Amino acid sequence: MRKTIVVLLSIVGAALIYFTSVSAYKVFRADLRLPHSPLTQSAEYRLVLITQELETPFWDKVGNGARAEAAKHGAMLEVWGSYNNDSDEFLKKLEIAIHSRMDGIIVQGLDTDAFKELVKYKAASYGIPVITVVSDVPDSLRRTYVGTDHFEAGRLIARQLAEDMGPEGTVILLRDSGNAYYQEQRLNGIRSVLESHPGIRLRYAETEGSREQMIAAMQNLMNQAPEAQAFIAANANLTAAMVQEIGRRSRVQPYHIYSFDDSPDMLTLLRDGLIDGVIEQSPEEMGRLSAALMIDWLKGGKLPLDSGGYHTEIRLRKADDAP
Amino acid sequence: MNRIQNKILSLTGIVLFIMAAIWMTLTYYSRQTQEQYNEILQRYLRMNEVTSASQQMITDLNNYLIQPTNVNLEQLERSKERLRKAKYDVYALRNGDNDFDLTSYTNLIDSLLEAVSRSLMFQSLMETEDSNQAFNEATRISRSISDMTLTLLDTELKTYDRFYRGIIERSTELNKLGIWLLATMTFLLLIFAYWFAISITRPVQKLTQAAKELSRGRFDQKIEVSSNDEIAFLAKMFERMRVNINNLITEIQQKAQLEHELQQNKLLLQESRYRSLQSQIHPHFLFNTLDTLSKKAYLEGAEETSDLLASVAGLLRYSLRRMDRSVTLYEEVRVLRQYMDIQSARFADRLRYVEEIDDSCLYVQIPGLTLQPIVENAVIHAVEPMEDGGTITFRVAEEGDRIRVEIADDGPGIPEDKIAQLLRGSAQETEGHTTGIGIGNVVQRLRLFYGKDDIIDIESKPGAGTKVVLRLPKVRRNEADDQRTDRG
Repeated sequence: MRKTIVVLLSIVGAALIYFTSVSAYKVFRADLRLPHSPLTQSAEYRLVLITQELETPFWDKVGNGARAEAAKHGAMLEVWGSYNNDSDEFLKKLEIAIHSRMDGIIVQGLDTDAFKELVKYKAASYGIPVITVVSDVPDSLRRTYVGTDHFEAGRLIARQLAEDMGPEGTVILLRDSGNAYYQEQRLNGIRSVLESHPGIRLRYAETEGSREQMIAAMQNLMNQAPEAQAFIAANANLTAAMVQEIGRRSRVQPYHIYSFDDSPDMLTLLRDGLIDGVIEQSPEEMGRLSAALMIDWLKGGKLPLDSGGYHTEIRLRKADDAP
Repeated sequence: MNRIQNKILSLTGIVLFIMAAIWMTLTYYSRQTQEQYNEILQRYLRMNEVTSASQQMITDLNNYLIQPTNVNLEQLERSKERLRKAKYDVYALRNGDNDFDLTSYTNLIDSLLEAVSRSLMFQSLMETEDSNQAFNEATRISRSISDMTLTLLDTELKTYDRFYRGIIERSTELNKLGIWLLATMTFLLLIFAYWFAISITRPVQKLTQAAKELSRGRFDQKIEVSSNDEIAFLAKMFERMRVNINNLITEIQQKAQLEHELQQNKLLLQESRYRSLQSQIHPHFLFNTLDTLSKKAYLEGAEETSDLLASVAGLLRYSLRRMDRSVTLYEEVRVLRQYMDIQSARFADRLRYVEEIDDSCLYVQIPGLTLQPIVENAVIHAVEPMEDGGTITFRVAEEGDRIRVEIADDGPGIPEDKIAQLLRGSAQETEGHTTGIGIGNVVQRLRLFYGKDDIIDIESKPGAGTKVVLRLPKVRRNEADDQRTDRG
C-alpha cells in the first residue's frame, strides 16, 4: 500500500516536473532579442526597376531576370511600380526613386513629357543613370534601351500576316492614342513590309485607354470596313477587347489576328486559338541584360553604352505552336 | 544533532529560495519583455517621428515663405534639426531586411532637406517662381516620406510578424508555465511538508507508544527512535529511565523474595517454639525429677544409671533450649554423644557407634538440633528393626571451603521417592522422635539457615545402608553478604 502510494506520487511528481520544464523551456528558449537579419556589407548598388504593370507574367519575368542578375553582382534591386498602367502612380514612383538617390534606375519607358522631364532633368541633376526596358523613349536622354526591336517585331508580324492572308485583303491596325514610341515603331515596321504588298489595305483604329472607347472604335471600324480579314493590335493591352468585339459579331477563327505578348491576356487568348500569332519577346533576358548593363556602367566597365539600345531576341509564336 | 529548529529553518529557507528564484526569473523575463516592447515601439515611433518632423518642416517652410521673419526662420531651422536627428535615429534601425528601403528613406530625407534649402535660397534671391517650385517639390517629397513610412512600417510588420506572434505565443505559454509551476510547487511543498511533519511526529508517536507501554507496567521493551533530533535525545533519556526502573523493580522483587523467606523461617521457629512451650511445664518437672533420680541412683551406687539419667536430662534440656539459635558443631557433637550414650544403654551390643572427627572443624555454626534427628532417624530405621543391630558411623572432615558431616548406617536403605520427598522437606513424620523434630524439619532449617539448597544430600541403596551428607559452608551466607556490602 505504502509502496504503491510512493510510486504513484513519484510518477505524479515526475510528470509535473516534466511538464513544467517543457513549458519553461518553451518560454525561455525563444530568443528575447529582435531577430535582426544581419546587416551584410551594405550592397554596393541600389537599383530599382519601375514598371506600370506590376505583377503581370511578363513583368514578373523581367523583374526576376533583373533580380537574379543583380544578386549575382551583389547589388540590391527592387521592383517598384504601379498597377494597370497607372501612369501617375508610375511617375510618382519614378520621382521617389530619383529623390531617394538610387544608384541606377531601370524603367519601363513611358512616352510622355512628364516622364521625359523626370529622366532628362531630375535624374540627371541627381546623377542617376536611367535605362529603359521593354519600351523605349529615345529622346529622354536615357543611357540606353534594353528590349525588343519593335520595328523588327512589326516587320515580323507583317510578314507572317502577308504569308497567312495572301496578297490581298484589308488589315485593321489597332493602336492607342498615346503615340508611344514603341507603338510607332511597331506600326512603322508593319507598314514597311506591307508597303510592298499593294493588295493589302491598311486601316487604322485609334482609341483612348478605356475599354468602352476601345470597343466603340472597333465597332466603328468594323462597320466601315466589314471586309476586313486581319487585325493587328499594336498595343498588346488592346487585344482582349478587340477579340471580344470580333467575337460578338461572328466567329473569330476566320480572322487573322496578331498581337504582342506584353499583356497578361495573351497566353490565354493564344491557347484558346482566338488569336493567330503573337510576337514573343524575351522578358527575362531584358531584365538580366538591363541589370548587367547598369551594373557595368556603374562600375565604369563599359563606356559608353550604346544609346541605340540592346535588342533582345523575338520570335513569332503561332496559335498552332501553343502547348 | 539535527535539531527541529534547524529543520524548520531549512524548510523555510528552501521555500524562500525557490520562491525567490521564481520571482527573479519572472522579473528578469518581464524586464526582457519590457525592453523588447520598448525596442519595437521605438522603431515605430522613430519612423513616425520622421513623418511628423518632415510635415512640420513643410509647415514651417510655408510659414516662412509667406512671412519671412526671423522667428519663422528659427522655427524652420529647429524643425530641420529635428528632422536630421530623426534621420540619424531611423538610420540606426537598418537591418538586412530593410536596408534598401531605409537607405532610400534616409536619402529621401536628404532630398527633402535639400529641396527646402533650395527653396530658401531662391527665396533669398527673390526668385519666387523657383522658390515655389522647390517648395512644391519639398511637399511632394514629404508626402513620399509619409508613404514610405507606411511602407517601412508594413515591411517591419511583415519582417517581425513571426516574432510578434512568437511573443503572443510565449505569453500564453508563460501563463501555462505559471499554472504548471504552481502545481509543481504545491505538490513538492506538500510532499516536503508531509515528510517534514512525519520526521517530527513519528518519533513523538514512538515515544508516546513507549510511554503507554511503560504506564501499563511493561518495562522490558526497548525504546528505539531512529531520528536524530531532540526527540531522539528525549527517547534516549526515557530509555535510560526505563532501564533504571526495570532494575529497581527487579531488586524490589528480589527483596520481597527474601522477605518472604524470612517470614517462613520465622513461622517455622514460632511453630517449634509453640510446641516446646506446650511441653515446657512437663520438661522442667521432668528435668528435676531426672536430676533427683540421677542423684538417688548415684547415692545408691548405681553409677551407670545415674550417668544415663544425666544424659537424658541434658538431651532434653538442650532440645528445648537450642531450637531457635545457632550453635557450634562442637555442641552438636556433644549432644549427639549424650544421645548415643542413651541409645547404647538401650540397644547394648546391637548398636555400634563409630566416630571419626576432625576437631579443627568443630567451630562452624549450625542450627541447633540438626545432627540428633538424623542420627535418631538412622537408629529408628537401621538399628531398631534389625535383630543384629547396626553400625552408625559419624564423620566430620574438611572439604574445600566446606565442612563435610557424614552420618552413615548399614540399614535397609530408603526408597528413592522417599529420598526425594525428604529432600523437598515435605515429609512430616515425627513418630518415634525424641525431640519431635523430623528429617523434613532439619532439611528446611538448614536451607533457611544457609540460604542454599545443596547443604544436605542423601545417598542410599536398598540393602546397602544410607548415608546422609551435610556440606556446611565455613562462612554463613548472611555474613558473606554483610562483608560484601561493607566492601562495596
